[in-house]
Amino acid sequence: MKSPPFDYHRAGSAAEAAALLGELGFDARILAGGQSLVPLMNLRLAAPGHLVDITAAPDLAGVSANGSRLGVGAAARQRTVELHADTLAIAPILADAISNAGQVPVRHQGTVVGSLAHADPSAEMPAAFKAQGGSVTVRGAGGTREIPSEDFFEGYFTTPLEEGELVTAVTVDAWPAGTGHGFLEFGVTAESWPIALAAVLIHTSGGVIDRASVVLGGVAEVPLRRPEAEAVLVGAAPGAEVFAEAAEAAATGIEPLSDSFGSGAYRKKLARVLTRRALTTAAARAGGDA
Amino acid sequence: MSNHDISVTVNGTAASGSVESRRSLADFLRRDLGLVSVHFGCEQGACGACTVLVDGRSVRSCILFAVQADGAEIQTVESLAPGAQLHPLQEAFRRHQGLQCGFCTPGMLLRSLELINDNPNLSATEAREGISSNMCRCTGYQYIVDAVLDAAAEMRGEED
Amino acid sequence: MTIPKVRQHPEHLEWVGKSIPRVEDPKFLRGRGNYIDDYEVPNMLEVAVARSTMAHAKIASIDTSAAEAVPGVVAIVTSENVKDHVNPMPDFGPSPDKHTWHCLAVDKVRYMGEGVAVVAATSRAIAEDAAELIEVEYEPLEPLTDTLAALDDDAPLIHEALGSNVPFHRKFAFGDVDGDFAAADVIVRDTLHWGRSGGQPLETVGAVADYDAATGLLTIHVNSMSFTHFLFLLANTLRVPSNKLDLVPHPAGGSFGAKFFEVKTATIAGMMARVTGRPVKFMQDRLDNIANGDHHGSDRYYEAELAARSDGTMLSARFKVVDNYGAYIQFGVGQHGNSLAQAVGPYRMSSIGYDLTAVLTNKCQQGAYRGFGSEVGNWILERMVDLMATELDMDPVDIRRMNFIQPDQFPYFIPTGNVYDSGDYEAVLNKTMELSDYKGWRKRQAEMRAEGRHIGIGVCTCQERSVFSATEFWFWFDEPVAAPVTSAPESVTLKVDAMGAVTATLYSNASWGNSPETMVAQFVAEELGVEPDDVSVVYGSSNQGLPATGPGGSRFTIMVGGAVEVASQRIRSKAAKIAAHLLEANEDDLVWENGGFAVRGSPDRRKELAEISLAAHMFKHSLPEEIETGLEASHVQDHPYTTMPNPERTDLGVFYPFVGHASHVVVVEVDPETGRVDFLDYTAVHDCGTVVNPRSVGGQVIGGTVQGLGSTLFEEFLYDTDGVLRTPSFAEYLIPSAMDSPTLRVGHNETPSPYTPYGIKGGGEAGRMMAPSAICAAIDDALGIRIRRLPATPERIVEMVDAANG
Repeated sequence: MKSPPFDYHRAGSAAEAAALLGELGFDARILAGGQSLVPLMNLRLAAPGHLVDITAAPDLAGVSANGSRLGVGAAARQRTVELHADTLAIAPILADAISNAGQVPVRHQGTVVGSLAHADPSAEMPAAFKAQGGSVTVRGAGGTREIPSEDFFEGYFTTPLEEGELVTAVTVDAWPAGTGHGFLEFGVTAESWPIALAAVLIHTSGGVIDRASVVLGGVAEVPLRRPEAEAVLVGAAPGAEVFAEAAEAAATGIEPLSDSFGSGAYRKKLARVLTRRALTTAAARAGGDA
Repeated sequence: MSNHDISVTVNGTAASGSVESRRSLADFLRRDLGLVSVHFGCEQGACGACTVLVDGRSVRSCILFAVQADGAEIQTVESLAPGAQLHPLQEAFRRHQGLQCGFCTPGMLLRSLELINDNPNLSATEAREGISSNMCRCTGYQYIVDAVLDAAAEMRGEED
Repeated sequence: MTIPKVRQHPEHLEWVGKSIPRVEDPKFLRGRGNYIDDYEVPNMLEVAVARSTMAHAKIASIDTSAAEAVPGVVAIVTSENVKDHVNPMPDFGPSPDKHTWHCLAVDKVRYMGEGVAVVAATSRAIAEDAAELIEVEYEPLEPLTDTLAALDDDAPLIHEALGSNVPFHRKFAFGDVDGDFAAADVIVRDTLHWGRSGGQPLETVGAVADYDAATGLLTIHVNSMSFTHFLFLLANTLRVPSNKLDLVPHPAGGSFGAKFFEVKTATIAGMMARVTGRPVKFMQDRLDNIANGDHHGSDRYYEAELAARSDGTMLSARFKVVDNYGAYIQFGVGQHGNSLAQAVGPYRMSSIGYDLTAVLTNKCQQGAYRGFGSEVGNWILERMVDLMATELDMDPVDIRRMNFIQPDQFPYFIPTGNVYDSGDYEAVLNKTMELSDYKGWRKRQAEMRAEGRHIGIGVCTCQERSVFSATEFWFWFDEPVAAPVTSAPESVTLKVDAMGAVTATLYSNASWGNSPETMVAQFVAEELGVEPDDVSVVYGSSNQGLPATGPGGSRFTIMVGGAVEVASQRIRSKAAKIAAHLLEANEDDLVWENGGFAVRGSPDRRKELAEISLAAHMFKHSLPEEIETGLEASHVQDHPYTTMPNPERTDLGVFYPFVGHASHVVVVEVDPETGRVDFLDYTAVHDCGTVVNPRSVGGQVIGGTVQGLGSTLFEEFLYDTDGVLRTPSFAEYLIPSAMDSPTLRVGHNETPSPYTPYGIKGGGEAGRMMAPSAICAAIDDALGIRIRRLPATPERIVEMVDAANG
């Protein structure tokens, strides 16, 4: 299980990375942490001709907080983001998601942006990002553009990125005080890939839910927003019954595929159970327990 | 494919070499530098047998290209006991029989060392959660947890 | 052979029974394990195997031109020319000429992952680059993976020469099965399925071969070397004279059976070394090991019946078994000998029916996995005992206890002919009940259930047979295909040098996660009065070595213990002659104590072993003429207790005589919505006779239990009906992590065997032989379901809950 050959390039800045991508064309991929890509290369399921390493680019490093927004550079490691005070303050669901992803040594090397750009519909960080909302900053030869979280996941391992473009940062928008989150996943073993997961946020005001976000992972070709469930929640008082109803709505109408980890029917069942439980956790946190 | 000259510090000593871009850090350490404690179990980052410390942090060296580690400070298990005396962590593994075939052991030791360095007062649950990153097929983990806790106590200066 | 003599075990032991730190550990802790992949030689090539992407297909053509053009590629052997280089693999199957096995597929591929070509190149990476470029044109054949479908008349044939997919079928009756069933008040029946899991050691199998054309010697360094007296078969495969093949063992990074006589890797390396004229390393990667490692575990379908009186007295059991062996059947149906060695469990039953069918399908073939099939037999029997308890509304502990074979009944011959040497099952059970606080847990269970929690408690009481005889590989047949072999030896050489330092040489690949060096060091220390840490344990290669079978079937400690015992006696015997001369005493007046000989009644007149050995090595002319220089001795330890099967095969003889016992009590909490199983408590009490190193046995018990947990809850080599292996890597084939594993309370009960050195019984496999039974019973108890198929994955548990709820 040795990677196929490729050419390695180290970019000193985002601009240099974009220039390299433009120059090298379709056969080039960004190498950040490599924790998703390199296993695929060792398995010879991916064979890019060029890798552009961006982790040495100072302008892609770091976590920043700008009032109500959390910014994570493309070279920022998952473990750093997971433990960062700004993440815990602004996007605790992202910290939860990261803590569920892979193992600590993998998170030491892996990047948050890399996980988003990999766009695995079963993965933790894409679901959390989509649940809380925000955008990614994309840079290409023609400059930069922002893609909102709602539009970033197009299909299995597919994003709207075009040839020559890279994600330079992700921004996560804060929810107001009174928000609670829940992130739950289920895998066969503690360290195995999740079969299904639920990422939810609710905001309560005056004892009523006035904003909700429900996203499922592992049940579709993208992290799946469930507006039907959100509609059940908004306007209702938090409680076991409404959470059960919302969970039912979340799991109704989805058609997950089967694989060696679980059948579609089981995934659907898990989606319902995990949504209900995640909402319960979120409600407790919204109430100030967090 | 490209070749790259890299320079690293391994176990406190400067080392350099020319590597193919695809050469994993694990292969570089094992084959080019002879640090055979770095083991291949799965080559996809699942098992942790190849765990080394890069700039003080545990990573899977089988899914890290050597060229990515250019300039880094790397620690393998060979550094723990340069002389005749085993490191207190190794002694604890021996005392508790926290190993059987020994294949996961170097990775397990380095991950345990990191855990203890990060939290010298770690609990049994924290030790178990911490080593859950690394697979052991022999021990069922229990004696490893025992060893980590005992080593932490010893490294804190508590005699038993 | 008749029953061996009953031994008087010494009352005081200095080293046996102590949890000394393991002598092998310092090198492992330093990362200097000398594993096979650590071994390199100059000018060495590395190989990669191109594996079939099809489950079942004719090989129409193979094009290697693109692969050959890759710089660094030195040689390629494919399915089309492999027969030019090697003969078929050593095969102990029922009719090797009709299900012929080569190191690469020949004519057609029979499972996804079977090798179709081998590339030797200057690096493994280049070999893989080239292997990817080999183009194989397949003509697809209908795939077959289902166990029962393999029996259909119109099923596709895996081996046309066999004429069916059934290499073996035979119905055995041991005792009056029909009579016992007719006499029964209650018969419970069930259909059970044990899924295929495997050892999956973290280190795969590897070999480094070097052919010296000048001498004709083919040397192969391996991490899998056992049955050295059978290596002439491998020499035949490799087309070298048997005395020109030398295997050199390296410590294995785990085996659990998966490196038990694994010689395909050595064959491929050896073949390529001969083809290229250069040293060749073949190190399987994980994909090779999972898909093409020849050591998947049992894969069995059972129709089981248990007959009892209405008071719970068990009378007989009948099993109709179909075992899905995969594409080849290298060890025949030896795995079922393991089941039959302890077919009645710890219970008094007077008969056993066993209808065994082996089928061939498009899966990787079975080999060995910790338990070697006995773990399946245990699980089936315990499932049926639990079912009987339910049927009779009895407590699962009570029905077990009342049926136990009693301490005064040993040696106890079971209906299949095997013997249980000794035991005290009630003592083990009582200790388990106490250690687990079983009664307390039953009370807490009721309270927790009242809170709506799904708490279950499971109990099992199972056997662990140890030390197999060779007969179990052929007593299935009236006329054995190969010779009716009866040898399964283990050997040691002890050398005391001029300084009195002891070196012990072992002759198999003994180190695979057990503690062979510690065992030998403790035995030598016991026998020769030295410190265990001062004993040097080394491994001899096959060609210069003595016959050895290696670990497997929990045999090694007992066998090597016997070897060390006799070799030590020979050392002491010679040392006594020398000491008598040096002390000017009569040999009969000498006593051996504390590592030296003293004159009885005059403890000051003594010679230490070192003094004696110095004289033996250096002062020939100061010693009696008949004393040869040096102080060393070897012993080939043969199986201590084997008897022959009868011609009718209604009695298989004694073939697995040293039988340990264990009881596990498991407390689980199950989430009925997700199927998640959490372990609240786990107690395991084992009786493997005299314990040599309690901490080591504890480690084996815990590790084996966690492997059993894996087989019970999620580990499976999953093939779909198209023959696609859905678990090709560690991302899909899941092994338990620390967070999946319980913390065990381990207890030992010691009922020494009357027939083995110090009274030892094997203990290496026991955890995996018990855990599935206890865990399933606990899950059943938590949810009111009945597990009939392993692994009981979370999804399958949820399905059972849903089915139970209508």
